[in-house]
Amino acid sequence: MKLQSVSLWLLGIILILCSVDSRSFRRCLISTDMHHIEESFQEIKKAIQAKDTFPNVTVLSTLETLQSIKPLDVCCVTKNLLAFYVDRVFKDHQEPHPKILRKISSIANSFLYMQKTLQQCQEQRQCHCGQEATNVTRVIHDNYDQLEVRSAAIKSLGELDVFLAWIDKNHEVTSSA
Amino acid sequence: MLLRLTVLLAALLSLRPGSDAHGTELPSPPSVWFEAEFFHHILHWTPIPNQSESTFYEVELLRYGIEPWKLIPTCRQTLMLSCDLTAVTLDLYHSSGYRARVRAVNSTQHSNWTVTNTRFSVDEVTLTVGSVKLEIHNGLILGKIQPPRPKMAPAGVTYESIFSHFREYEIAIRKVPGNFTFTHEKLRHENFSLQTSGEVGEFCIKVKPSISSRTNKGMWSKEECVSLTRQYFTVTNVIIFFAFVLLSGALACCRALQLYVRRRRKLPSVLLFTKPSAFNLSSQRPCPETQDTIHPLDEEAFLKVSPELRNLDLHGSTDSGFGSNKPSLQTEEPQFLLSDAHPQANRTLGSGEAPELGDSCSSDSSNSTDSGICLQERSLSPGTRPIWEQQVGSDSRGQDDSGIGLVQNSEGQAGDTQRGSALGHDSPPETEVPGEEDPAAVAFRGYLRQTRGTEEKATKTGCLGEESALTDGLGPKFRALLDDEEGWHPPALAKGYLKQDPLEMTLASSGAPTGQWNQPTEEWSLLALSSCSDLGTSDWSFTHDLASLGCLAAPGGLLGSFNSDLVTLPLISSLHSNE
Repeated sequence: MKLQSVSLWLLGIILILCSVDSRSFRRCLISTDMHHIEESFQEIKKAIQAKDTFPNVTVLSTLETLQSIKPLDVCCVTKNLLAFYVDRVFKDHQEPHPKILRKISSIANSFLYMQKTLQQCQEQRQCHCGQEATNVTRVIHDNYDQLEVRSAAIKSLGELDVFLAWIDKNHEVTSSA
Repeated sequence: MLLRLTVLLAALLSLRPGSDAHGTELPSPPSVWFEAEFFHHILHWTPIPNQSESTFYEVELLRYGIEPWKLIPTCRQTLMLSCDLTAVTLDLYHSSGYRARVRAVNSTQHSNWTVTNTRFSVDEVTLTVGSVKLEIHNGLILGKIQPPRPKMAPAGVTYESIFSHFREYEIAIRKVPGNFTFTHEKLRHENFSLQTSGEVGEFCIKVKPSISSRTNKGMWSKEECVSLTRQYFTVTNVIIFFAFVLLSGALACCRALQLYVRRRRKLPSVLLFTKPSAFNLSSQRPCPETQDTIHPLDEEAFLKVSPELRNLDLHGSTDSGFGSNKPSLQTEEPQFLLSDAHPQANRTLGSGEAPELGDSCSSDSSNSTDSGICLQERSLSPGTRPIWEQQVGSDSRGQDDSGIGLVQNSEGQAGDTQRGSALGHDSPPETEVPGEEDPAAVAFRGYLRQTRGTEEKATKTGCLGEESALTDGLGPKFRALLDDEEGWHPPALAKGYLKQDPLEMTLASSGAPTGQWNQPTEEWSLLALSSCSDLGTSDWSFTHDLASLGCLAAPGGLLGSFNSDLVTLPLISSLHSNE
């Protein structure tokens, strides 16, 4: 009896810690001003999405795919996607129009800031990448590779709203209006 | 693979001008766009330039990244420039978005596709409000915002369920004739209340929704108007009114209570003197009113006086300003408390007050000279005192005087003996007095009782009920009279009192002829009479004394004049005879 009760207690504690852990990861990006990024994107959305000539192809997969990611993998997937955009999409895109370029640059800087915030959060707790997170990351990279670089970059930029919506949902970011 | 794609693209692009070269190729619609509200997604397009009657448009829809293009048959109608795609885009709020494309088709040809510029996603939905309901409560406008409730929405999907957080509404108000004023404040809830700060009239309100975490645009709702009328019978007004009534009632009660507590108490009937009726001494000299000088005595205390004292007429407050000093009373009984207007006259009975009385009396002596009152001597030795001391206390003998003006003798004379000595020593003390005392210091010494026979209650000069005011009035007159009288000199054995005035040569010779004394005595008797009349129906025990003096016989009235009165003459003669 005593052993059972002790084991139950331990299990409960572990569960609590796990939930706390996952939630803590979800709260890593709380201080980010997502609304600013979303507004910037809305201003260039028309211009960028108009250049996307392949509507039946997607890079970031669909929202459903991203929605299927479990809370434990959120940290890994967020980290990977931020790296994808900063390292590949923003670098590959060549924007001729200065106004649009300005907005894209502001979005890119925000992503850099988010990366740093996430890194600080991760140093306290280890951000393990599960199998599913790894799979999703790989699929995205493959989709990007299937298209021509410029088209892929344009398409990825056009899908920023999907990425931002996913971050909103999974990181409980409080956006300041 | 990329290379292949690029080659294909190039080929297609090169081929396109060729296809255009067919000539009858229809132009594609210039632009296609979505106009969407909550579960009301409408695709719009602009018509082709040369539109014929048989031209119709085809619409295809694509779910972004998932499906191929799907034709929408419901939109295949002639000359329609919009199409409702809500039914096929129900999943808009949970998906990445849609793309739609339109082309013009006529009988023989079809144009190229024109695709929507942007990916149609939830970001493109314009937010609207279903309805706004306004109510008025107590001068407040209460509003309730109803979100849109479209028919096409699937079961269980509502505006609140999709946009669960950060719903906000901006309000614009206007008073009917004027323009809209924007509050620049955002409501976080669907229920709101507006303060109109007492204004009356018609108010119109419109609302614009938004989601603070999203970039969706909002659309102003329709105007809802409500008219405010001035309400007089609001709950607050009624409560205030009743509170006011209660407060005023309470205040009135308090005030009434206060007045009742401080009400002017009536004098006991004993102390009320009826005015003298009919007795008219040819009033050419209006004497000061005796009624001013009434010193009401506490009847109860009066009753406690020992019978001896009662017999005295010396209970002197009723005198015209005699300061009565009744030390014996004080020792035996509670004192009479005299209340009167005149401070000097208000001598409480008490031995201790002799010096004070003396002061006051002396101060007022100028006024209350005659009427034999206020004697106050400060002198300690009874011998030096003018005989005045009829202190009741000591004496219990009603003095033969009108028993009035008790002199305040702190020594407290023993009694009759003193008086007797006083009596006997009328002249010597009199003579002594002016010599001994400083005339300047003592203005008035009161009256020397002249001839005091065995009877003591003989004269009534300076009678009861007179007040110092009366005496004041009479005094000067008296003095005047005295002055007027030629050859008058106060007889030593006068029945009444000789005014002792150090300044004047009056006093107290015992040998004054009675005849000459008549007039002053006359006047004094008049005084007595008047004072007696004032007594009226008082219950004082010594009324019988007054009777003996003949006071009762005389009707009341102030001394009208000092003219000799035939009525009084017999009395005087009687007095004289008594002696």
